[in-house]
Amino acid sequence: MGGSNDEATRNNVGIKNGIQYVTINAGGGYYPNLSSAQAGIPTKLIVKTRGVYDCSSALFIPSINYQNILPQTGDTEIDIGIPQIGEPLRGICGMGMYNFAVNFD
Amino acid sequence: MLTTYTFHVSGTHCAACRILIEDILKEQDFVKSAKVDLKKEIVQIETDSGKDQGELAQVLNEKIKQNGYILSVEKKIQENTQDNVIWHAIPIGLVFLILFFLLQKSGILNFSIGGKTTPTTSFIIGLIASVSSCLVVVGGLILSLSAKIAEDDRELNKKPFFLFHLGRLLGFAFLGGILGLIGGAIGINFVFSAILGIIASLIMILLGINLLGILKKNTLTLPSHIFSFFRKVEHTTLAPIVVGVGTFFLPCGFTQSMQVVALSSESFTSGFLTMFAFALGTLPVLAFLSFGSISFAHSKYAPLFFKSAGVIVLGLGVFALLAGLAGLGIIDPLFNI
Repeated sequence: MGGSNDEATRNNVGIKNGIQYVTINAGGGYYPNLSSAQAGIPTKLIVKTRGVYDCSSALFIPSINYQNILPQTGDTEIDIGIPQIGEPLRGICGMGMYNFAVNFD
Repeated sequence: MLTTYTFHVSGTHCAACRILIEDILKEQDFVKSAKVDLKKEIVQIETDSGKDQGELAQVLNEKIKQNGYILSVEKKIQENTQDNVIWHAIPIGLVFLILFFLLQKSGILNFSIGGKTTPTTSFIIGLIASVSSCLVVVGGLILSLSAKIAEDDRELNKKPFFLFHLGRLLGFAFLGGILGLIGGAIGINFVFSAILGIIASLIMILLGINLLGILKKNTLTLPSHIFSFFRKVEHTTLAPIVVGVGTFFLPCGFTQSMQVVALSSESFTSGFLTMFAFALGTLPVLAFLSFGSISFAHSKYAPLFFKSAGVIVLGLGVFALLAGLAGLGIIDPLFNI
């Protein structure tokens, strides 16, 4: 765990009205690739796309059984419920080429 | 007076080799007939030259050596040229693979196109898709099938390739039109395309190993129904078209995005045009892969080409398989290119 946690960022995480938002930019991969957020509070993922046609627009999140082709341009809000400690959220593109993870602590 | 001699021949890895060796040998004035038996790895020639068998072996060996075959009076246990070719092919294949993945990593392809998707932007997206990570599955499959067909068929048979590309263009157009007609009623199924991608990657791995010829008898024996599938691809009209149309369903983020564009257009014409323009954009690179394969396959670099293609196809196949399994959530993602 330790090694990969070092690179995790919290810059893309914010809490508004009791809901935690984790923002991921999709396009040629997912950025930030690894983020850290708080566990135990209602959390939503915002996936931003700006003129994206590549694999990252075909988003698959196995743990919540989310699969969708994101709009070419837009912000997609995905409800991920109340995350638990030690259960990272993993997203992957349809072909499995790009992925991202959010750790909860 | 005609004398019949039997030589051992090594380096034969395909049905086409038989024809090639026979042709080269028959070009010699003093060779009246040549017959290769691939199973026994022997060649029988009838000659009116007065030379003894040892001398003949030396003369004829000079002629076929450059193509990677060795003719000998005694049976050779280990063939060396085969090994030499593979030591050239591995670095060539690896360089291609590394360049390809560096291109993906470089971010050059991470463009964004704003605004409405028109047939023109679809075409540009197709051009980019054809050198993107989509090439792993679609391009890898085309390269492996093309090389395999070229290896099995020594005649310069371009028909299956024309039919394949025609099937791909028209298939994309009509299926795009149908998506437009149906509108938002259907979703694009990730699991379905991921499974197709895994099947494609398995075919690539199988053909890659086959092209490399690294297994014992120099050929991996394909299960007979798969083999008959390839024969069909080679020799019928319908099969290459079906494979071409089938590429519509292969996992490729760009294709899937364009399918969504076609879906949301809610008109047959614009769905048709979007997907047709996209497929047209992918055509130059894919056509180069297939027609380039057959040109190489009929040049003197053929043995090197087949082995290099084998390395590339095997690498892409393994990558696509791992990515496909990760996409289905079966294994953890190993790459992030």
